[in-house]
Amino acid sequence: MPNHAILAEELTYSYGDFIAVDHIDFDVAEGEILGFLGPNGAGKSTTWKMLTGQFKPKGGKATILGWDIARDAQKVKAEIGVCFEYTNLYEQMTAGENLKLFADLFGIKKYDPAPLLKRVGMEDWEKHRVEEFSKGMKQRIMVARSLVNRPKILFLDEPTSGLDPVSAEAIRRLVLEERDRGATVFLTTHDMWEADKLCDRVAFIDQGKIVALDTPHDLKQTYGKRALKAEISTGDGLRYIEIPLDTDETPEAMRTLFANKKVVTVHSEEATLEDIFIKLTGRSLE
Amino acid sequence: MNWQSIRAIIIKDLSLFSRNQFFAVITLLGLGAYIAIYFVMPSTVDESVDIGIYAPVVPSSLQQLQESGQGLDLVSAESEEELRQGVAENDYIAGVVLPADIEEKFESQEPAEIKLYFTSDTPEDTIEFIDFLITEVAYLETGQYLAVEWQQEILGPDMVGTQIPPRDKLRSLFAVLIMVTETFALASLIGEEIEKRTGQALLVTPMTVRDLFTAKAIVGVMLAFSQALLFVLVVGGLSEQPLIILTALILGAVLVTGVGFLMASLGKDFLTTMVWGVPVLIIFSIPAIGIMMPGAVSDWIKIIPSYYVTDTMYQASIFGSGWGSVGDNLLILVAFNVVFLSAGILTLRRRFQ
Repeated sequence: MPNHAILAEELTYSYGDFIAVDHIDFDVAEGEILGFLGPNGAGKSTTWKMLTGQFKPKGGKATILGWDIARDAQKVKAEIGVCFEYTNLYEQMTAGENLKLFADLFGIKKYDPAPLLKRVGMEDWEKHRVEEFSKGMKQRIMVARSLVNRPKILFLDEPTSGLDPVSAEAIRRLVLEERDRGATVFLTTHDMWEADKLCDRVAFIDQGKIVALDTPHDLKQTYGKRALKAEISTGDGLRYIEIPLDTDETPEAMRTLFANKKVVTVHSEEATLEDIFIKLTGRSLE
Repeated sequence: MNWQSIRAIIIKDLSLFSRNQFFAVITLLGLGAYIAIYFVMPSTVDESVDIGIYAPVVPSSLQQLQESGQGLDLVSAESEEELRQGVAENDYIAGVVLPADIEEKFESQEPAEIKLYFTSDTPEDTIEFIDFLITEVAYLETGQYLAVEWQQEILGPDMVGTQIPPRDKLRSLFAVLIMVTETFALASLIGEEIEKRTGQALLVTPMTVRDLFTAKAIVGVMLAFSQALLFVLVVGGLSEQPLIILTALILGAVLVTGVGFLMASLGKDFLTTMVWGVPVLIIFSIPAIGIMMPGAVSDWIKIIPSYYVTDTMYQASIFGSGWGSVGDNLLILVAFNVVFLSAGILTLRRRFQ
């Protein structure tokens, strides 16, 4: 068994002269959640499509569970679950029929969709047509569909984009449950907060290249600033003071703050993934 | 080939087809209407030919022909004007004006000036029949033909005897129309997979593009063939050469499936698919209309693939033609199928990638 679920080496894709994915290298360990972050047009969807067998790489290679995605696409597809950003369910079929269809495509006999529908909180909607559902409900069915074959690797593209908080939280919970089951998760998202909360590691992709790949914690340590932000009362109102940590002046500044100022609140300041992305690429994720 | 996946897609597509109210209504209405029209059309042909005539002197040979009871019914008009009016109002199939000196012309063997009146929708073969009739009368009177180009003796009487009931002519037209109508359904089913991107979801499973196209082709052939077959069974169209007719229907169903693939690849949504489909429906109907109205179209219709379905069905069901007679038709149809299916798959493949 390979010790990594996904391995990309010099992976490249171009549309004509435009290089969308430019010789990227990364790996994802089994049971790991990797967040793939980048703005629109950065190359994350193209990478996602290559890894899910929708595009053939124009250069380099990638293996999924040890199989080459170009040569053994069908073997790869049997072991992965894919959840698209956009809803592409059969709207005139029921929730149960949608799941049964995909169970058939994966060769699963006598499939019962009820347990999976229960996991996504849709157990009462099995016999209802998808066209009756809200966006959040459809997205839950989309996630359920990607789990029909109990995939070893789950590819999720913006799974919570535009969803209400309840649906989004239900999907995040499912992702964590899948990780706990042992599945590897490849998650593309704009949502830095979500990536921070869910992912074991995150990769920043910009202009087809991976500009950083590490755990959220280490990224913040490496690229973020450590500081203390204090809210003090001045008599005229409130004012903020920022005290950098890890400097020779830090102990004295802290002593002065609490000795001489009327401190209202104190917060530790750490960089967000968004801040780090902007710092690394000079542009935001939106 | 992943036959389990193919089977799943076929079942899914047939299920979606049956749930699409538009196609369900169109299919049922179309099938019902074609069958109803078929049975409303006359099953026999009135073999008598009514011809109006204005002649101060009626040649004796013409009178003898009428009395022989060979389906010729001459109706005398009082004046040329009355004759013209009778033709215009379809009281007779044609009007003939014989000059007063026709007997003398026959005797002197000089060309006689004979006027023929037809309506604009008089079939070409009827005009030929009248021309022939006059020539024949001249021959009977003089023992020689007048200076006319056609020499097809007994053509007139034989055509009358072998006329085909209108509804039998309609059979191949309706069968083709039913099959072409199903291309709308197939193109729409495929078009929705593209438009709603469900095809992408299918292709991240072990199902391949080849499996998907195979399933779609089977669905297309099933829809077109089953409904055309139902129609042909109901109207008794398998009484002559059933194997040849079934073969023509299957090949026709494959042909319209290829066309359906092309339509789906050209259309961006349901509406544009329909827009592409209507010209196809019209063009594919032309060969069958040519059978309904002989002389209305010429040899160029052979470039329309549906000609080979229509002609094979017509030859086999009406004249009982065997494999030897329609074999070329079927081979050409196979070639058209290869071309249309290949073109359809190639263009459609691009839409799924």
